[in-house]
Amino acid sequence: MNRFHHADDSTLMAHAAGALPEGLSLVLTAHLETCHRCRERVADAEQLGGSMLSELIPDDVSVDSLDRIWGRIDKSECLEKQNPPVDNVAGLPAVLAKYFPGGLDSIHWRMVAPGIRQFIINQVSSERGTVRLFSISPGTTIPHHSHGGTELTLVLRGSFSDEIGRFGPGDLADLDDSVSHQPVADTNEPCICLIATDERLRFTGMFSRLFQPLVGL
Amino acid sequence: MNQLSVEKILEVVETEPSADVLSGWLVAVGSHQDRQSFSRLFEFFAPRIKTYMQRLGADSALAEDLMQETMVKLWRKASTYDPARAVPSAWIFRIARNLRIDKIRRQKFYEVEYDQESSVLPDECDSDPIGTSRMDAMYVKEHVKALPADQLAVIHLAYYEGLSHSEICTRLELPLGTVKSRLRLAFGKLREAMGAQS
Repeated sequence: MNRFHHADDSTLMAHAAGALPEGLSLVLTAHLETCHRCRERVADAEQLGGSMLSELIPDDVSVDSLDRIWGRIDKSECLEKQNPPVDNVAGLPAVLAKYFPGGLDSIHWRMVAPGIRQFIINQVSSERGTVRLFSISPGTTIPHHSHGGTELTLVLRGSFSDEIGRFGPGDLADLDDSVSHQPVADTNEPCICLIATDERLRFTGMFSRLFQPLVGL
Repeated sequence: MNQLSVEKILEVVETEPSADVLSGWLVAVGSHQDRQSFSRLFEFFAPRIKTYMQRLGADSALAEDLMQETMVKLWRKASTYDPARAVPSAWIFRIARNLRIDKIRRQKFYEVEYDQESSVLPDECDSDPIGTSRMDAMYVKEHVKALPADQLAVIHLAYYEGLSHSEICTRLELPLGTVKSRLRLAFGKLREAMGAQS
């Protein structure tokens, strides 16, 4: 595992700053659940956030601010309740459980090309991109493409290989417009990935451009 | 109830209390609902949280409301604060940031819950030792100031204006790769200064 199997520092900083598009932050958080290395870096970037918060020029608060806060605290103490925890779903990061309560095996896939099925998570916005699950059959290749913006891919099951390396469950590929790749599912089970983009993808070959309208990327 | 007078509280705190002092106040709020410590945290953080909310798009009334809500959340969650894991300013920043995204951007902020964090063991490989890099906000500040202007600018746009990478590209008329490499360089320097292993 090398740094190409983790989030880029600039992605982790944007997440900590609260500036990462929602879809990218969903995929990143699913990775963070099992990645101590990236979690520590987010904590460092949040420390920078804390330092910058302390650095801000103080604004005048209302004269009755503190009284109002005490009022809200005293009121909230009677009705303090925890959000019910979402049940864990086997094989899924906790942050995805509410989108797939039945787990990966009860997803209503839509075929987009032979060997490639997808499910779009419509509830989550991601600038001009989307968040989707891809299921890639063994040996199937996603046509060669580059990225107008950022593409985060997290492997949930199986594995794929591309020009950068081999990615298994929990590995994250954080790619931008400097990278063009052609991933292939490389074991005998389908590779299921969670993918978020913030721009439309650019397919580079002639066949690939024909493929684009099918995928809706 | 041991409440400080409003005049005393509204005095602008010019110098930042040390992380140890802030941490002591936050722990006192968490362990025995100490209202005087809470008032002191309010005194330092509330006016800054209000500025933060305004810079990130809230009008004055909404910023006041979100600041109050941040402080209420701080009170409620203080018992989960672990000084070994985060400095108070970073912990409070998280609360303010999450509320800001929820209420101003109307999106969900996804994050690994604190109780999840403690249940996940560090990876065997390439992990940073825990707790080596939790420094005073003041110490971090000095190193932020020393960054080159072009790196500082992208950090400000991300943290103080909440701009995504693509929005920073548009604002500064720079390619994505340049924006990302400036953030990476700045982060590398700060982490090094914070004593982390890269």
